[in-house]
This record gives sequence, structure tokens and C-alpha cells, in this order.
Amino acid sequence: MHGTGVASWIAHAGVMARRSVRGVVRQPQLWAPSLVFPLFFCAVSAAAFGRTTNLPGFPEVDSFLTFLVPATIMQGVMFGATSAGTEQAIDMENGFNDRLLAAPVARVPLLLGRLGGIMVLSVVQTLLFTAVLVIAGASFAGGVAGLVAMVAVSALMGAAVGAFSMAIALKTGSVEAVNGFFPIFFALVFLSSAFFPPELSGGWFESVASVNPVTWMIDGTRDLVVQGWSLQAAFRAVGVAASLLVLFLSLALRALRSSLRS
Amino acid sequence: MDHPIVAEGLVRRFGDLVAVDGVDLHVARGEIFGFLGPNGAGKSTTVRMLTTLLSLSAGSATVAGYDVEREPHIVRRVIGVALQEAAIDPIMTGRELLKLQSVLHGIKGRVASDRGDELLERVGLTAAADRRVGTYSGGMKRRLDLALSLVHEPEVLFLDEPTTGLDPTSRQALWEEVRRLNDEFGTTVLLTTQYLEEADQLAGRIAIIDGGVIVREGEPDQLKSEVGSPTLRLDIDPSRHDEARAILSQYGESRPARSERVAIGLEGGAARVAEVVRSLDETSIEVTHMELDAPSLDDVFAEATGRRLEGAAETGAG
Repeated sequence: MHGTGVASWIAHAGVMARRSVRGVVRQPQLWAPSLVFPLFFCAVSAAAFGRTTNLPGFPEVDSFLTFLVPATIMQGVMFGATSAGTEQAIDMENGFNDRLLAAPVARVPLLLGRLGGIMVLSVVQTLLFTAVLVIAGASFAGGVAGLVAMVAVSALMGAAVGAFSMAIALKTGSVEAVNGFFPIFFALVFLSSAFFPPELSGGWFESVASVNPVTWMIDGTRDLVVQGWSLQAAFRAVGVAASLLVLFLSLALRALRSSLRS
Repeated sequence: MDHPIVAEGLVRRFGDLVAVDGVDLHVARGEIFGFLGPNGAGKSTTVRMLTTLLSLSAGSATVAGYDVEREPHIVRRVIGVALQEAAIDPIMTGRELLKLQSVLHGIKGRVASDRGDELLERVGLTAAADRRVGTYSGGMKRRLDLALSLVHEPEVLFLDEPTTGLDPTSRQALWEEVRRLNDEFGTTVLLTTQYLEEADQLAGRIAIIDGGVIVREGEPDQLKSEVGSPTLRLDIDPSRHDEARAILSQYGESRPARSERVAIGLEGGAARVAEVVRSLDETSIEVTHMELDAPSLDDVFAEATGRRLEGAAETGAG
């Protein structure tokens, strides 16, 4: 056994995940903003643009607030998720990463474990935001199954964004670089169907939003929120998030491998 | 296999910069080997290659008999590593970090927590075990770092500048601990340092590295004696200086000294001091004060590189 057996993979990923969850819990400054700002944006948008639902062609929805549920959750998840990269970069700056790499541990569980904290945070955000928005008057037609799917999408999406930020961290070794890339995800949410149906905007916005994976994911989760549970919608959203996770995780792994040789 | 660390023709390039330029090392089992050099000399780069953290540009190395390039995962099982600047996560407690490190080394449950307690005790951190590392002093961090590198009872221990930035008391405590490990378990230790005293106090054998090349290697005393004889200074009544010089000339050549003193380069080293005093006494020349200045490792360094290590400006990472 040299850190490649399945049992040690699980043990190593587990212990790294526990550390990552602890890291999140003990550093509220990393996630407190991600609980506050998305709800703030949601409240402002609902108040300012609430009547856009009356536009001809606006998808059938009981209120703009309900329309915003997926957007608010995804925003929160992306807000919080870059902390995986921040933590990775801090570990590289202070040398803790070397201590981990000098231990007989396979590289994949080290990466996977680091996503643990993010995934827990994403789940908490999803449940909390859903509860707050439902109390504020939004509806959630998907029921328990829909909520479970929503939670899964959030956890996968959080991990995917986390993996991307870790790839940046591994490539640059710099906390600043990780933070510098953060607006990309913010932009991706704004360039999607999150706040407005792209088919009503037309023009370049519609073209960009229609090829934006965030749109596909938001549309899937929105179907769950607005229309109710459907396996197809759940698969679409989970599938997009899982694919992004695989893509970004392999980027992170490549960055890790090349950082070992540099 | 009596050389747990062997490096042959080790080279590491970073672009055009050659950080390590053909280093050979043979560290014997149970030895404390000191790797002495200024910042940027290539010490840390060498250690990073030996600990599988950096690939080799050329050459080869084995640790505990395993090739660092071909069998890095086995090397990682037998080495303990404490890298520069106490690489530990400030938001975890000492006990949690020991637990993490144990699991990474495949040690679980009860065994891991017992081992953790024992190591905390050993490095004197039992009372601080449940405090976050961010609240530790520099010395405490280094001691925890050392404990972390010992969870799996490694055969070979790498300590990269273990006391840089520590106060003298903390430094002494860490030296004590390293000696104890070496005595009790026969752990082979490779330690890098830019402190002459550390190399002198701790290491049985040292290599002096400068500009990526080993410029001297051997036991500290032997290296010092190669630089030249120690200077013996004697305070003697000036009226008898000529007589004294005549006697002293058989022990070594005269060296410059203040007016009330006579000085020679004592050939054969400190062991002959008694002889000198006896011959002076036989001719009833009174010695009121005596000093013997052995060449230091700094003299060795200066002789090898033309520069002084002591008080050298700290520039960049080693």
C-alpha cells in the first residue's frame, strides 16, 4: 500500500475534507459575504424588476422572486466556492502543501478532499436560501425531490468552481491570482438566463447566454422550482454541473502534476 | 545499505539558472549531516529534490535505497520532512494536525492518537495541543513541525533550516531534540543551515555549499584544522619576549599580536598547549593570560569561497 489503494484514497480524501470543512467553519470571513450578497441582490432585483414577468413572452411563473431562486442559489455557491483555491494558494504560500506532497498520498484524493468544505457550504447555502426565499413568498414546486436535486447541483457546481479556482492556485501559487479570477464566475451568471430570459433580450445577449453552460444549468433547476419535479430537468442540471466538475478537476490535476515538475 | 542518502551528480536548473550544479552526497546511517551555506546556495533545492518535491534536471539520488525519481511514493513513506519556515496551517490545532499527518501516513484511530500524545509530550506541546497553531510562538511552531515529521517514525529526517529566525533558547531546545532523536532511534538526519554554530554543534559531518556546488566536505574539526593552525596568544612580561619567542618558535611560526603579547600559529592544535606552557614554565617565564583561537567554520567557508558567511546579508530564499 502506498497511498493508491481505494481504502487509503478514501481515508486521505476524508481527512482532507474534514480539514477543509473545519477551515470553512473557523473562517466565517470566507463565506459570510456569500450568504449576504446574493440575498441582497435578489431582494433588489425582485423589487426593481418584479413586473418584468408581465412582459409578453416571459415564461410562466408565479412571481419574479420565484424566477430568481436558482440565480440566487448559484450566485451564492459561486461566491463561496473560490475559497478552495484561496486555501490551496495559502497552503502553497506557507509551505503546508509541500508537507502534504511529501507524504505518501496519491494526488487525486488531496484535491478531492479540499472540495469537501465547499460542498458542505454549498449545501448549507442552498437550504438556507431556499428557506429564506420561500418565506419571502417564492414558491418551490419541485418538492423534496426537487430540493434534493437542487442541493446536488449546488454541491457539484460548488466543487466545480472550487476545482477551477484550485487549478488557478496550482498554476500561479498566488492568492491574488485566485481572487483575480473570481469575477469570471460572476460574469458567467450575469451572462446566463439567471436574471432575465435571454429569448426576450435577443441580440448578442441571447447568443452568449444560449451557449453558456450556466444557462443550461439554471434552466434545469428553474424547471424544478417553477414547474415541479421532472427527471429530465434534474438530469440536465446535474449533468451540466457534473461535467463542469470533471472538466475543472482534470484542469486542477494537470496543474498539480506540472507544478511538481517545475 | 549503510548510506540512507546518496546523491550523484545532482543538478537542478530553473530556466537559465543552475541552482544545484552537480552535488554528490553520501550520508551514512545514523549520521547528522549538516548542509551549510548562505541563502540561495542551493540547499533547499537539493532537499526538495531528495524529498521528491522537485524533479531532477540531471543526476540521480536514492533515499533509504529507493530512487527519488522512480519510486517517489516509497521514498515518501520512509522520510520525515520539516521544510523551511514551519509549514503548518494556522487555523488548525496541534493535535488536529498530528492526526491529519498520521492519517496521511496510514496510521489510524487509537494508535494515531497515542502517537500524537507521545509526540506532543516529546516536543513539550502537551499544554498547547488544543490551541490553534496561529497562536503559537515561532519556537513552538518549529517543534510542532518536527513532531509532524516524526509521526511515522521515519528512517531519514530532512530538516530545512529548522531554526532560522528562532531565539537562542528555542534554538537550543530544538538542537537538543534533534540530538535526542538521533541518539535514541539512530535516525539519519540531513539538516540545512546558514548558521555556523548550528552546523558545528549538531552535525557530525558537514558539506559547505555555495553557488550550487559543494566546496568543502568533512567533519567540522577536520575542516577547521585544514584551514590552518589555531592562534595561541600569550600575555608575557615584554622584557622576556625575545626569550619566549625563541622557545615558542619550535611550536609554530610567530603571528602578529599586541605589544604585551606573543602569538604563534600552534602546530598540532590545541593538544599541544600544555607542552607550550610547560616549556615556558621551565625557563620561569610567567604567562599571565592565554588565549587559543581555533579556526571557525567561517574561516573554512572564507577559505573556500573568499567570502564570510557570518553576518552575511539575507537575500532571497535558500
